[in-house]
Amino acid sequence: MKLFVSEGNPHCLKVLAALEETGAKCGVDYINHEENVVPFLSRPAIPALLLPSGSHLFSSNAICQFLFEVNGQETPPLCNQWLEWEATELQPALFQALYMAVVQGKGSEVSKVLQAPLNYLDQGLTKGNLPYLTGNAVTVADVVLWAALYPILSDSSLQLGEHKSVRSWFDRVNARQSCQSATQKVLQGKGLQGMKSYLQRQPAPQVNQPRDSQPSN
Amino acid sequence: MALRELSSLEKFLELKKPNKYSTQGDKKVPVLQSSDGPPLVGLITIACNLVKEAKRSELLGDSAESRAVVQQWLEYRVTKLNNYNKDDIRTILKDLNLYLQDKTFMAENQFTLADILMYYGIHPIILDLAMQEKEQFMNVTRWFDHIQHYPGVRRHLPPVVVLKNRIYPSRH
Repeated sequence: MKLFVSEGNPHCLKVLAALEETGAKCGVDYINHEENVVPFLSRPAIPALLLPSGSHLFSSNAICQFLFEVNGQETPPLCNQWLEWEATELQPALFQALYMAVVQGKGSEVSKVLQAPLNYLDQGLTKGNLPYLTGNAVTVADVVLWAALYPILSDSSLQLGEHKSVRSWFDRVNARQSCQSATQKVLQGKGLQGMKSYLQRQPAPQVNQPRDSQPSN
Repeated sequence: MALRELSSLEKFLELKKPNKYSTQGDKKVPVLQSSDGPPLVGLITIACNLVKEAKRSELLGDSAESRAVVQQWLEYRVTKLNNYNKDDIRTILKDLNLYLQDKTFMAENQFTLADILMYYGIHPIILDLAMQEKEQFMNVTRWFDHIQHYPGVRRHLPPVVVLKNRIYPSRH
């Protein structure tokens, strides 16, 4: 089993933290942003996991779920729901926010883009009133959401408003050894600027996602 | 779209009582109110839950590896196939065509929920393809045809004609 990661790629935070958290046995290869290790994809997809069967996983969330499962922790239904929300709602907003802050130098506008998802997460955590997203123990959902939010929540220059529950949950997960070690490996203490070369290679985010390509039924 | 899919999935799974769904937000994300807990939100989350309710867990994969592959394509479905623009279509078809080159189903040799939801999601794209394009993406259309004929899957969708033999000369 081999994990392919690149420095400065925020999605690699997820898989490296999951790897440390679970202690799964897996080699790690550092490659550059342009390298394409998944044979059937036209665009590079990093991180990627080469499975013992020879097939590839190219979704960071599926890789994290797999690492937790081989460690004996199946993904409970509520976890799945947070992972789906992360991929469909949080990621598009986060990518837009990171692109604005790092590539376009518009850090002051980031808050606008992130208010809705941060409020949603804050409500979920407040309602649950538990130390972690789905209970008293860390799950794959905590690691994935922590990693997704790390770049923006660890930067004190971004004014994101008060989300008390998000903040205390984030600090709790962030204090874990696995998370600290992953951030060092991916961002090397360079913060948002550590992701600049990765973000510059990504196609600019579409601010208004086209709805006309889907039949409205 | 998602709500019709969920009701087709319920029929495929032969669940006795149809659920009532609502939606939330601009993207009309499906929501299932449950009698004994918090509501379930999201197409994948609800679909996986229906599969478990029907005691058909094998549809989510029968090993840790295949479960991860199934989850990956379910995520692909709700990220890539829910919000594509015209330029993305060719990349999607090209990548899937290469992926399916040596596979019968999305997760190797096993029919899973990934086949059902990818089929529902890609249906509008395949419906719009010209015959020549269907030939160009032969592995995708072969898989698609296989799934639309899989017992009980097609339900609310019109069948798409796929030719089994080439009528245009091969480019090689």
